[in-house]
Amino acid sequence: MMPISAVDGTTAVGVLASTTAFDVITTRHAYVAFALLLCTGLYVLIASPNLVKKIIGLNLFQTAIFLLFVTSGYVEGGSIPIVYPDAAGGPYVSPLPHVIVLTAIVVGVSLTAVGLALCLRIYDEYGTLRVDTLRELLREEGTLPAGSEAGGRTSDANGGESRE
Amino acid sequence: MSEILLPLAVAVPIVAATLPIAAGRRFDAIGWPVAALTTTAVVAMAGTVAREVYGTGPFDHELGGYAPPIGIELVADEFSAAVFLLVALVSAATLVFARVVGPHRNTFYSAYLLLTGGLVGVSLTGDLFNLFVFLEIVGLTTYALIAADRSGVSAYASLKYLVVGTVGASLYLTGVGYVFLATGTLNMADVSTQLQAVGYTDPLVQTGYALIAVGFALKMALFPVHTWQPDAYQRAPDAVTTVVAALVSTVSAYALLRVSYSVFTVDFLAANDAITTGILVVSGVSILAGSALAAMQSDLKRMFAYSSVAQFGLIAATVGIATETALLGGIVHLIGHGLLKFGLFLGIGLLAAGYGTRHVADLASLARDAPIAAGSLAVLSLALVGIPPSIGFLGKWYVALGAVQAGGTTGGIAGVAIAAVVFVSTLFTLAYVARVLERLYFAGVDRSIPVVHDIGAVPDGGRSGRLPVAPLVVLVVTAIAAVGLGFAGAGFESLLDPFLTEVFT
Amino acid sequence: MTDALIQDPRPLLAVLVSLVASGFIVASYRSPNIREAWTLLAAVVKFAVVASMLPRVLEGTVFEWTVIELVSGVPFVLRADALGILFAVLASGLWIITSLYSIGYMRGNNETNQTRYFAAFAVSLSATMGIAFAGNLVTIFVFYELLSIATYPLVAHDETDEARSAGRKYLAYTLFGGGVLVLAGTVLVYWLTGTVSFTAGGIDELAAADPGLAMLAFFLLAIGFGVKAGIMPLHQWLPEAMVAPTPVSGLLHAVAVVKSGAFGVSRVVLDVFGPELVFDLSLPFGFSAGLVLSTIGAITLTAASLIALRKDHLKQRLAYSTVSQLSYIVLGLGLFGWYGLVGALLHIPAHAFMKLTLFFCAGNIHVSTHTDYISEMAGIGKRMPLTMGAFTVASLGMAGIPLVAGFVSKYYMLLGGIQMGAELTPVAYYLVGALLLSGVLNIAYFWPVIYTAFFEAEEDHDAKPLVDFRIGGESRSTLGTGEHNAGDDVVTDGRHADGDVVTDGRHAADDVVTDGRHAADDVVTDGRHADGDVVTDGRHAADDVATDGGREDDESDAESVDTPTDETGVVRPDFSPADRDFSEPAARVDTGEYAVDQSPSDADVPFGVGHGEAVETTNHDERSSDHDADQDGGVGGHHGTDEGHGGDHHGGPPAGGWRHIQGVDVFRGHESSWFTLGPILTAMSLAVLLGVIPYELGFLELIELVVDTRLPAEVMRP
Repeated sequence: MMPISAVDGTTAVGVLASTTAFDVITTRHAYVAFALLLCTGLYVLIASPNLVKKIIGLNLFQTAIFLLFVTSGYVEGGSIPIVYPDAAGGPYVSPLPHVIVLTAIVVGVSLTAVGLALCLRIYDEYGTLRVDTLRELLREEGTLPAGSEAGGRTSDANGGESRE
Repeated sequence: MSEILLPLAVAVPIVAATLPIAAGRRFDAIGWPVAALTTTAVVAMAGTVAREVYGTGPFDHELGGYAPPIGIELVADEFSAAVFLLVALVSAATLVFARVVGPHRNTFYSAYLLLTGGLVGVSLTGDLFNLFVFLEIVGLTTYALIAADRSGVSAYASLKYLVVGTVGASLYLTGVGYVFLATGTLNMADVSTQLQAVGYTDPLVQTGYALIAVGFALKMALFPVHTWQPDAYQRAPDAVTTVVAALVSTVSAYALLRVSYSVFTVDFLAANDAITTGILVVSGVSILAGSALAAMQSDLKRMFAYSSVAQFGLIAATVGIATETALLGGIVHLIGHGLLKFGLFLGIGLLAAGYGTRHVADLASLARDAPIAAGSLAVLSLALVGIPPSIGFLGKWYVALGAVQAGGTTGGIAGVAIAAVVFVSTLFTLAYVARVLERLYFAGVDRSIPVVHDIGAVPDGGRSGRLPVAPLVVLVVTAIAAVGLGFAGAGFESLLDPFLTEVFT
Repeated sequence: MTDALIQDPRPLLAVLVSLVASGFIVASYRSPNIREAWTLLAAVVKFAVVASMLPRVLEGTVFEWTVIELVSGVPFVLRADALGILFAVLASGLWIITSLYSIGYMRGNNETNQTRYFAAFAVSLSATMGIAFAGNLVTIFVFYELLSIATYPLVAHDETDEARSAGRKYLAYTLFGGGVLVLAGTVLVYWLTGTVSFTAGGIDELAAADPGLAMLAFFLLAIGFGVKAGIMPLHQWLPEAMVAPTPVSGLLHAVAVVKSGAFGVSRVVLDVFGPELVFDLSLPFGFSAGLVLSTIGAITLTAASLIALRKDHLKQRLAYSTVSQLSYIVLGLGLFGWYGLVGALLHIPAHAFMKLTLFFCAGNIHVSTHTDYISEMAGIGKRMPLTMGAFTVASLGMAGIPLVAGFVSKYYMLLGGIQMGAELTPVAYYLVGALLLSGVLNIAYFWPVIYTAFFEAEEDHDAKPLVDFRIGGESRSTLGTGEHNAGDDVVTDGRHADGDVVTDGRHAADDVVTDGRHAADDVVTDGRHADGDVVTDGRHAADDVATDGGREDDESDAESVDTPTDETGVVRPDFSPADRDFSEPAARVDTGEYAVDQSPSDADVPFGVGHGEAVETTNHDERSSDHDADQDGGVGGHHGTDEGHGGDHHGGPPAGGWRHIQGVDVFRGHESSWFTLGPILTAMSLAVLLGVIPYELGFLELIELVVDTRLPAEVMRP
């Protein structure tokens, strides 16, 4: 995939690059980083038993996506998208991906805030942020029936991660 | 003139959301009146917009005066006007119930209004990224509302929803990113033209769609990524469940249909067999698994939460079938299911408020004490099963017809299988509906003997043993509407015809 | 159709009358008499509306009324043509009779939830009218589903476990047949032809469509409607639905539900596909769609009759008889020819009248004497002469004896089968054979009832070989006099409790015999049931009801005298060969743990008289005073010598034998209330009239009109 070079709003065409893996890593390393970060974030999200860490994983996940957008907006030799009255400004960088990322960052921040507030509430009531401990407590207090919600089946050993 | 209503309908609830908090310093119970006033205004706006759209034709509004494809536009066409109307009506009607039963804090109503604004935004927007923003607004407010009763267990359920929902929205955003990379624009109509040039079999485009679809699947709670939904619906306060179940997944399904048909178009779906087959398989499994899981539940709200999994499987199947009749069925069932779930959760919320019933077993012979509520519940659940005449039957008819048409002409095994699943889904839905009805009417229990209940969240203001009148009236009206709309098949067809022709040419 | 299509709201009116009335019925729940008056008023008005259309329909007019367009190209339309009027007249007319009977039955049994019952009845009839007058497949589907929903409360009326389970099964089967199969077939037809309208002689485009798909649509529709018509193997809901009150069974089995299934099949054959296409759609081995339908009918016919032979519970026997008779209609519809179709359609009213009579008789026996089992009905002809007389006439009709309705329809069908066999395909001869065999089987399972009622005495009653698997039968007494009657020694294992041969499992006494007769029963004098509270192992869950009493007397008499019981309550007879009389079977070691006692087979009917409900047996406000409850025969049952059986029901004759009603008293209706007797006699008379003057009654003329307009010219009436 080549970065978009559109600057004046006309159509841009994405071209499929047929290159080897080595080429990809050396030239399009940002996209590789995006993929790696995405998977790392997802892994942290799934594997970690601590709720706050899960939210961290979520953040990592979202950051990877920001990286994708920003990278895709890179223009070699591009200039900031302000058109001066006199000049031929050369290829401008499209502001659109950056705007998108800014908005998405805001969204991510609010999500993190809400998520942490919920964690606070959970901690207040149960005194723990670990998913497995939480499940025990919920089962004890009867909110969660012993076994799964389907009634009577013994729970599988996967722990809470598989639920999300 | 009426095009100004579109941004107003989005902005008014959002701005009004600040009022309960601001005025809350002065007045105590200012939240409900503000919310009621605002949602009534939104209903009026929705009605006007709908009348204009179905009378004259679709129209749009450019935000800030910037012309698309650079600017963001709000579009009211036949499909979005219908969803807009549904959102407005249900938001307003739930307030009747929330007045009696729900949380009464001003902050609750602020969040409620923000939710309304976000929902309207999702249904009206014509820009892919704007859709993401509004989806997240809806999501955020939903997470807050679900945890509104301030207990730890609802906070946990909300957190689960938050994580899954955010992953879903992020995947959607990634998909939008891929599409943006391919086409360079975010405006829905423009993307649709550009995609034609790029080609529907380009891997970038296919991956983009796949990511978008998976993102929506997470938000719609299709099997197997549905696990957040039963907890979230069960733990939320009753009024919140009513509005969330009726609207939140509904607008996500609307967004899926919109993106699939208006942005990627039927030609994309026709060119990508693997994608449509995948969608059909997932939908079919959702229908079967959702109904089966619902039949195993003993908690009422959980049961109907799993039922939503099945019903949204039905709607998602229409994307896989990709014929005109199927799309009509998807739209009709979208609206119908929203209405039905609103009524059902309102009904069981009412019974919980009046009699403390949380489980199917608690409903024993309740029909004797609460005949009107039980009767409305019976009508609504039979409509869900698809017994004619009802809106549930209408949606199922169109989807089944579309499936038979597609399966017959193209002859694919997936097409035939989904037709069979659609027909058999009647029995599956009956499996859990019949339990509830049988318990309500034929349990043979004498209710004059008092039984000790474990009433979970005690609703404020509910007098045990009698049901509040205003929500009951709303319930009855909903039941009547569910049956009445079942006769409106021809009406639906004529109203949605311009949209359908546009999509399928 | 040669006729005028007139826009007239009367079909819609006929549907709405009872729908509106059901609202009034619910509203007048406080005053039973007004409530019943609403029912009767609605029934009469409905019949009047339908009958008013009859003369013009006989001339060929068709009344139509479109309500609204449901989906594009499919209007929600009600059309009264000859076939529809046939069913509508039958249903609305019989509703009047059934309503009167319901009043007698409900009040006689002092049933609960009567308002719900009458309201659901009214809505069911409304849906039946809708089915009769439906003008296309979608409309009939709508009313078909509504009928299932409306009749469900009637099936689950008793609110006992059996009733609920029967209701669930009923809903599952009928909504499967309707909601799944019929809908699939309808959608398929709509896709193939673009229309679902009923067109006399068949929708033309179907003949041109792909035969494989047309065949699939045909079977989806036929089997979907056939579920309600009780074709095997989807008939299971029918016997289980017998748990409902008898007027409901009468309604289900004569008027509304099963006939609407048969009616649906006839609409499919006659108006969707057309008899010619049904015959032409060919399958391998020389079969065609129509022939397969007839074969399914023939198999059901025979199998159900064979099962009916072994049922001791009267309503169950009638249920299987219904399954069998409904298949006559299905069989006839598959025959291609004028006679076959006429016979099949004529069987709809013929069977309705006869079966309604039979069910009403069964219900009357239940209400008056609490007897449900044929083996307990020895000599009941003395006690209920009119009822059993009507039963006899109706059973003769079922077997096809001339002068009763069943003969006429069967005659036509035999002719049709032979004609088809001679002209078209020899397979039809087998169908004729099945019809003839069925006549014999009908006699085989109805004659024992008549014989037992009229020609046996309570003290000396033959067990029926087929029911008990003992060739040669045996004599025993159904009286509980406490003394040994001749031939009673063999009864220890005779009827039941023999693990393998219990056919209708009413053993009971064996399980509870500890001190010789009943467990913990101190007051047993005539040994009819175990004491109210503890009778239950292996038999009933509800403790206060021994539903089928009269069972224990037989073996208990023997065992009380002979059988030693050890400390644990196990009956251990003395097997030493020294003084055993080997001319009779040995006594049984009874541990009370026979599998059949713990897991009753389907031959066991745990429901029955008063099961699960405490039925007050002594107040009959409506009954005439000559119906005294103190003497045995009254509804008060056999409390004569039993004490402590407050709400118990037990069938069978009381201690002194049945009360003998003789002479002129027979015609004074002393045996039961006129509310129940009147409808029985009316239905029986209708059956006889239909057998004697089918034309003048209008039915045959209507049917000939129906068939004439749907057959191609070359197969017209000879």
